[in-house]
Amino acid sequence: MSWSWLIILLATYPWLFAADLLSDWTAHWGFNVFISGAAIVVPCSRLRRWQAVLFSGCVGFLFEARRPIPDGTLALALIAIAIFLTSNKPLLRNAPRLLRASLIVNFTATTIWFCATAFTLGQLSFNPLGAFLPQLLLQLITSALVSLILFWPLSLIQNSAMDYMNTPPANETP
Amino acid sequence: MDKNRQGAKASYVAFFVFVALWILAPSFVRMGTREAFVEFQAPALHLVAKGRDLARFWELKSKSSEELAAASRDLARINAALELKVRTLEDIRQENIRLRELARYTAPREFLTIVARVASRDSSSWWHRIILRKGRSDGIRPGCPVVFSDRVIGKVSLVHLNTCEVDLVTSPNFRCTAYLEGDEQGRIVLVSGLPANSLGTARAKIAVIPTDYVAPAGQSAKVVTTGMGGVFPAGLTIGTLDSNIRTTQEGNFKEGTLQPSRNLFSLQEVSVLVPIHPAAGEILLEKRYEDFQ
Repeated sequence: MSWSWLIILLATYPWLFAADLLSDWTAHWGFNVFISGAAIVVPCSRLRRWQAVLFSGCVGFLFEARRPIPDGTLALALIAIAIFLTSNKPLLRNAPRLLRASLIVNFTATTIWFCATAFTLGQLSFNPLGAFLPQLLLQLITSALVSLILFWPLSLIQNSAMDYMNTPPANETP
Repeated sequence: MDKNRQGAKASYVAFFVFVALWILAPSFVRMGTREAFVEFQAPALHLVAKGRDLARFWELKSKSSEELAAASRDLARINAALELKVRTLEDIRQENIRLRELARYTAPREFLTIVARVASRDSSSWWHRIILRKGRSDGIRPGCPVVFSDRVIGKVSLVHLNTCEVDLVTSPNFRCTAYLEGDEQGRIVLVSGLPANSLGTARAKIAVIPTDYVAPAGQSAKVVTTGMGGVFPAGLTIGTLDSNIRTTQEGNFKEGTLQPSRNLFSLQEVSVLVPIHPAAGEILLEKRYEDFQ
């Protein structure tokens, strides 16, 4: 079904929005609840490549639309990751691998948007005693925790939506 | 498998072509994409914010009549005091107008106040923002000052159809000029937001403090807007200057930290001051916006 990526996007959007509402709550502490990276992993394991690319691009644009992240940085990064994941589907063939992939993708995507924003503000610095690296580390820890907590319920919804649309399941064996 | 590899190669090539096109694309393409995704999310944002208001309404409705009577009595007292103040200020305003006419003094910018509810807050090390439930359709324009009572909250950075984004005083994108309380010579200092430490309080930096400046003893010096630069009206409180003022490395100025006048992330409602006559910069921004639409 050619529109399945859009339907999965609509099924995923409430989770992305819930993450935004959590960010509202954590705004006092300067944390952003980021789940967009983890959200592309399960669709990448089942959708066709072009569908996964469209889905990932939209997820990226949805996150960066209301934030001063350089235009397209996150969306393009997620598209590149989606191409990689759909070309290496054995990496996503079972549940533990999916969880590991979600952690890695969320980690990578966080690093990309965090560094890109810091770069535009002229704050990018790799001095271990400076402000940048500890902040990045804190944001990465938050992203990893969010990914660990929210990945299973999110994947359940995404899998149900894909089952409903008769999307072929991911191969258990390569 | 070979087919898959070939497909992957083709996809990577297409991706790099797309990245090149994206970089070379005119800015209205990027702005249009951003705007489309913002407008897609706007209804959900409105729905949640209205739900929050409804919850608050029912919470207030569940209060006992005694509590409501006490609150209304307090409000009546405050109203009476404010009415007196308004009359006094009206007299001063009339006199001010008369003196300005006599002196042929250029009138300061006049503002239209638009009250807006806060829909969402968003913060990271690199930005501190709130999203308001009013936008272009309500007359809000980019660059408008945002205040709460007589305190500066921030500046509108982006305006969408029914929402707008406000860069808070502590946001690294925020800049404005200010006067320090206790500086009788009225020298200008520069206030700019700072990247915040997560788990710490968001603050701003006050730079270009004269070396001979001494803060008033026993209290934090108030930092107020100058009215120069054409964004903020004069005399609004931005915050207070922390006591630890230090001399810069060059030794020609001092710098300190600004403590915002209130907790910026607990605000429920703010006022956007829209200049009645747009400044030249704003006209240019509007034109750019119209071109892109």
